[in-house]
Amino acid sequence: TPSLKVNGLNLDYFTPKEYIIGGTTLTGAKYLDKDVIVVLSKLTQGETIMLPGEGTANAIKNLWAQGLFDDIKLNVSKINGDTVYFDIEVVELPRLSGFEFTGISKSQKTDILEKLGDRPGKSIINDNLYNTTRSIITKYLYEKGFFYTKIDYASKPDPNQDNSVVLQVNIDKGRRVKVQKIEFTGNKEFSAAKLRKYLKKTKQRAFYKVFGSGKFNKEKYEEDKLAFVAKLHEKGYRDAAIISDSVYKYNDKTVGIKINMYEGPKYYFGKITWVGNAKYNTEFLEKVFGIEKGEVFSEEKLEKKLRGSANGDDVSSIYLNDGYLTFNVDPVQTKIYNDTVDVEMRIYEGPKYTINKVSVLGNTITNDRVVLREIRTKPGDYFSKELLIRSVREIGQLGNFDESKTNPVPKPNPADGTVDIVYHVEEKPSDQIELSGGFGGGRVIGTLGLTFNNFSLRNLFKGEAYRPLPKGDGQRLSLRGQTNGKFYQSYSFSFSEPWFGGKKPVSFGVSAFTSLQSNGLSKSNANYYGIRLNGVSFSLGRRLKWPDNWFSLTHSINLNQYILNNYPGFLFSTGESYNLNFTQEISRDSRNHNIFPTGGSYLRFTVQATPPYSLFNKVNYNTASDKDRYRFTEYHKWKFESQWFETVVGKLVFKGQAQFGFLGSYNSAVGQSAFERFKLGGDGMQGFDFLQGSEIIAMRGYSNNSVIPVGANPNIAQSSGSPIFTKYVMELRYPVISSQQATAFMTVFGEAGNTWDRFRDFNPFNVRRSVGVGAKIFLPIFGLLGIDYGYGFDNIPGVPDANKGQFHFSIAQQMGGFN
Amino acid sequence: CKSRFEKLRLSNDVAKKYQEGIRLYNKKDYSKALILFEGLVQKYRGTAEAEDLNYYYAYTLYRLKDYTTARYKFKEFADTYPASKNAEECRYMGAYCYYLDSPKSSLDQENTYKAIDALQLFINLYPKSDRATQAAQYIANLRDKLETKAFDNAKLYYNLGGYDVTNYKSAVVALKNAQTEFPDIKYAEEMNLLIVKSQFMYAKNSYPHRQEDRFNEAIEYYNEFIEAYPDSKFAKEAKQLKEDSEAGIANAKRIIAEEQAMIAKYKALEESDKKRKDTTNNNSDNKTQK
Repeated sequence: TPSLKVNGLNLDYFTPKEYIIGGTTLTGAKYLDKDVIVVLSKLTQGETIMLPGEGTANAIKNLWAQGLFDDIKLNVSKINGDTVYFDIEVVELPRLSGFEFTGISKSQKTDILEKLGDRPGKSIINDNLYNTTRSIITKYLYEKGFFYTKIDYASKPDPNQDNSVVLQVNIDKGRRVKVQKIEFTGNKEFSAAKLRKYLKKTKQRAFYKVFGSGKFNKEKYEEDKLAFVAKLHEKGYRDAAIISDSVYKYNDKTVGIKINMYEGPKYYFGKITWVGNAKYNTEFLEKVFGIEKGEVFSEEKLEKKLRGSANGDDVSSIYLNDGYLTFNVDPVQTKIYNDTVDVEMRIYEGPKYTINKVSVLGNTITNDRVVLREIRTKPGDYFSKELLIRSVREIGQLGNFDESKTNPVPKPNPADGTVDIVYHVEEKPSDQIELSGGFGGGRVIGTLGLTFNNFSLRNLFKGEAYRPLPKGDGQRLSLRGQTNGKFYQSYSFSFSEPWFGGKKPVSFGVSAFTSLQSNGLSKSNANYYGIRLNGVSFSLGRRLKWPDNWFSLTHSINLNQYILNNYPGFLFSTGESYNLNFTQEISRDSRNHNIFPTGGSYLRFTVQATPPYSLFNKVNYNTASDKDRYRFTEYHKWKFESQWFETVVGKLVFKGQAQFGFLGSYNSAVGQSAFERFKLGGDGMQGFDFLQGSEIIAMRGYSNNSVIPVGANPNIAQSSGSPIFTKYVMELRYPVISSQQATAFMTVFGEAGNTWDRFRDFNPFNVRRSVGVGAKIFLPIFGLLGIDYGYGFDNIPGVPDANKGQFHFSIAQQMGGFN
Repeated sequence: CKSRFEKLRLSNDVAKKYQEGIRLYNKKDYSKALILFEGLVQKYRGTAEAEDLNYYYAYTLYRLKDYTTARYKFKEFADTYPASKNAEECRYMGAYCYYLDSPKSSLDQENTYKAIDALQLFINLYPKSDRATQAAQYIANLRDKLETKAFDNAKLYYNLGGYDVTNYKSAVVALKNAQTEFPDIKYAEEMNLLIVKSQFMYAKNSYPHRQEDRFNEAIEYYNEFIEAYPDSKFAKEAKQLKEDSEAGIANAKRIIAEEQAMIAKYKALEESDKKRKDTTNNNSDNKTQK
C-alpha cells in the first residue's frame, strides 16, 4: 500500500483525512515574494485540505505553471492533531527574458522566434533550454538547406529585471548545400531526365541555371516526392512508388540524391459501371463523366470528372446543384487484370435538401441586409452548389469583404432534409484615397480623391455611427478635388446606392461637378479669360432577369453647362453652352473577379442622345454663328465594348477586348458635334481634355491623343478628337501577387485601333498596331497603378514621336470602363 | 530634451513608476498610465503588489474604451485572484465589457452571445450579489437585440418579395425559423401576420394551377394567427387576406375550368375533324373551318 509517514502520521491513500492548514512556509526563494508564492499555492492558512488528496498536487501544479522554478518540493513540516503545516521548498533559477541572435537574417530571426514560442518570460535557464533551442534552430536551418549549423551560447544579465538573463545565440549556419546530382534506379519507361522534371523544386545544379541554381531545401524536397508519385499515377502507372531515397553528402558544398523507385505497368480504364443512381440514368452520367474504356488510367482525371472540375460539369456538381447535398460517389476498382482496371461507381444520392436558415457571420461593419440580399441560396429553395458559389462571388463584388476568406458553410440536418447555410465573411478596408501630383498642360496638378465604398447615408446625422465615418450600408460616396492653384480647379462629388429603397436591386446615383480654368487674373481685369463647367447627372440602373440574370440596364440624365469668358481656343469666346443628354446602357457582366478575372466576360452597349433641337428651334444652322450653333449641343452617340477572360494554363489568363464608338448628328446642316468626341492613344488618363467632354481611350504604344484619322489636320484632330473609333486588345496576364493587401500582375499585350472622321471611311481592319509589356498593381487603398511599355508600329502622319517606344503610367483607373 | 514622463518611462525605478501610474490614473490621464502599467505588469509578476497593479491595469483599459483587452484582463484577474475582494467586481466588469462590445443588431452577434454567457456565468457564481440583478437586465437587453435581428432578417425576405416572388416563400420559412429559435419573441404577433401576408403574396403571384394549394396554406396560417391572437389589432387586415385568398382560389378554379373547357373543345373539334376525314375521303376544307 502506498503510504507516507510523516512525524509519526500515516498518510494512507485509502483513508484520506481532512486537515486544517495551520500555516505554510517557504524556503529557497531569493527574489520572489514569499507571501505571494504561498497564495499562489492556494495552501492558505485556515483552509481545509484532504490528505493525501488533490490539494497538494494542485499546489505544485499551480506553482509550476508560473515557470519561475527549476524545482519544487512540498513537505509536510508538522502535524498537530487536525492541523497540518506545510513547507514549500523551491529552487529559483534565472529567468530567460529574451533572445539575441547573431549570424542569421532578420526574416530567419522572426521565423525562429515564432518557433521558440513563449519561452522568453516563461523559461528558466537550464540545459533543457539550451538543447531545445539548439534543436529547433538546427532543424529549421536544415530544412532551408543549411546542413552544417554551429551554435554556441552566451548569456548576460538583463539590466532591466532582477534575476533575468538574455540568452545570446551565436549561429554559424555555414553554406547552403546544393544538389550535385539526382539519380534514379528502378525506372524503365521514364528516362532520368524526364523524372527529374517531375521534381519541381529540387533541381540539379547546372551552369545555365542562374536563379535558384540547385539549392537543396528539405521541406520542398519532401513535397516534391509526393507530387512526383502523384504525377506517375496520373500517367497511368498506378502502382508507382518510391521504395527508398537517400540524400547523401557529395562533398562539403553539395549533396546527391538517390531515388529507388518502382515503376510498375501502365494501366488503362476497363469497364465502367454505375450503381445506386436513381435521379439520373446511367447513360446521362456516362456522358457527364466522359472517360471511356481504353483511356489511360489516372486517378486524378477520375477524381476531376467525378467531383473536381472548376466549371461545374462533373458528376457531383450535377447532383449538388439540384439539392442532393449529401451526394457521394465512390469509385471502386472492382477488377484489375493485366493492364486494365474495371471501375464501379457506387453512388449514394441521399435526400434532396431544402435550405432552411441562411445567416452571415463576421460582418463587423456591414449590415446583414447588405449581404443577405445578395445571397442566392434562400430559405425554402433546394440547395445548389452553383448558387452558393455565385453568392460568394457576388458578396465579393460588394468590395467590402476579403474574397479569399468568404466561406459558405452548409450544415445539413439529415433528420428533416434541411440545410442551414452560414456565410463567413471578413471585412477588409474598402475605402480608397487618391493623392497624386501629376503633370498636365505644362503644370503640376495636385489631386485629392476620397472614395468610401461602404457608406451609410441614413447614419450621417447619428454621431455614434461614425467610425470614423458612418458605414455599413454598402453605399458609395466619392469626393474629388483637383487643382494647380489659380489656373485650374475642379471639384466633384458622387453618391450611389445599389438598392434604392432597399427592396429592389435598382441602383440610384447622383453626381455633380464644377471646374474652372482661367489665366489666373482677377475677373475685373480686362485681360481675364476663363471657362467654367458645371454638371449634374442622375442615374437609375437595375439588374435584369432576362435574357439572363447577368444583365443590367442603366438610364441616366446629364446636364452640363459651359460658361466662357473671353476664352480663346474654343468654339466661341464668350457665352454659354448646354449639353443635356439621356443615356441608356445595357451591360452583361459575368467576370469572376473584380480585379483579376480569370474567366467570364463583360459586354456593354451604350446609346447617348441629346434632344434634336434643330428640328424645332428657329436657328438657321447654315448661317448661324458658332455661339448660336452650340448654345444647345445636339448629337447621338453609340458605344459598344466587350471583354473576355479565359484561363490559358495554370495562372496565365488571356484577355480579349474590343471597343467601338460612333458619334452622329441629326441634321447635316448642324454638322458633327464638337463635344463628346473620342481621343485615342496613350495612357487613357483624363488630363485637360474635359473641355469638350471628350472620351479618352487608352492605346499603348502611341502618345496621348495621337491616333488621329488618316488625312486629318493633326492639330485640329488632336485637340478636338474624332467622331468614330475602334480598338482591340489581346493581352496575356500573369499574377505575381494575389493577397488581401495587393494584387499584382504582369502583362504582354498587342493592341490595334484607329479613328475616322466619316462613317463611309470606316474600316474596322484598317488599324494602327502596337505591342508591349506592362505591370499592374492593385492596392485596396490606392486603386490600380500601372506601368506599360508599348511599341507602336505605324507612323501617324503629321505627329512625329507618336509611335515607337512609349512608356505609360496610369493610376486609379476605373475598372472595366472605357479605358 | 526628454519630458519628465519620458525619463521615468525609460528608467528602471519600478516603484516610482508604479506610484506615478496610480497618480496618472487618478488624474484620469489614462493613456499615460497605460504606458507605465504595461511595462510594469511583467516585472511585478509573482509579487504582492501585482494584484492591485493588475486591477488598475484592467480599469485603465476599460476607461480607454479598449473593451476587448479590458475584458480579458478583468477575467484574468478574477481567475488569478479568486479570493481577492475585487474578484467579484472584476468578474462582473469582464462580462460588462463584453456587453459594451456587443454591436448593433444588424452586425455579427458573436460578442452578444459571449456577453450573455459571461453575464450568466457571473449570475451563477454570485447569485446573491447586488450586481446580479443588473446582469440579468443586461442579458434581457441582449436577448432583445437577438430577437430584433432574427425578425429584421426574416422580414427582409418579405421586403424583397416585390423583386422576386420566391422571396415570399423564403419569408415564410425564415419567419417560422425565427419563431422556433425565439419561442417568446416579442414580435410574434406581427410575424404571424407577416407569415399570412407572405404566403398570400406568394400564392397570388403563382401559376393558376399552383394557386389553390398555396392559398389554402395562407388560409391555414390565418386560422393559426386568429386562434393565437383573437383580439389582434391586425385582425381586420388578416381577415382581408383570408377573404382575398378565398377569392383567389375561386378565381384560379375558374381559370383552370375555362382552360380545361377550351382544351376539351379543341379536342372535340380535332376528333370530329378526324372522324370526318376518316369517313368521307372527299371532305372539303370549308367544312372543317365551320
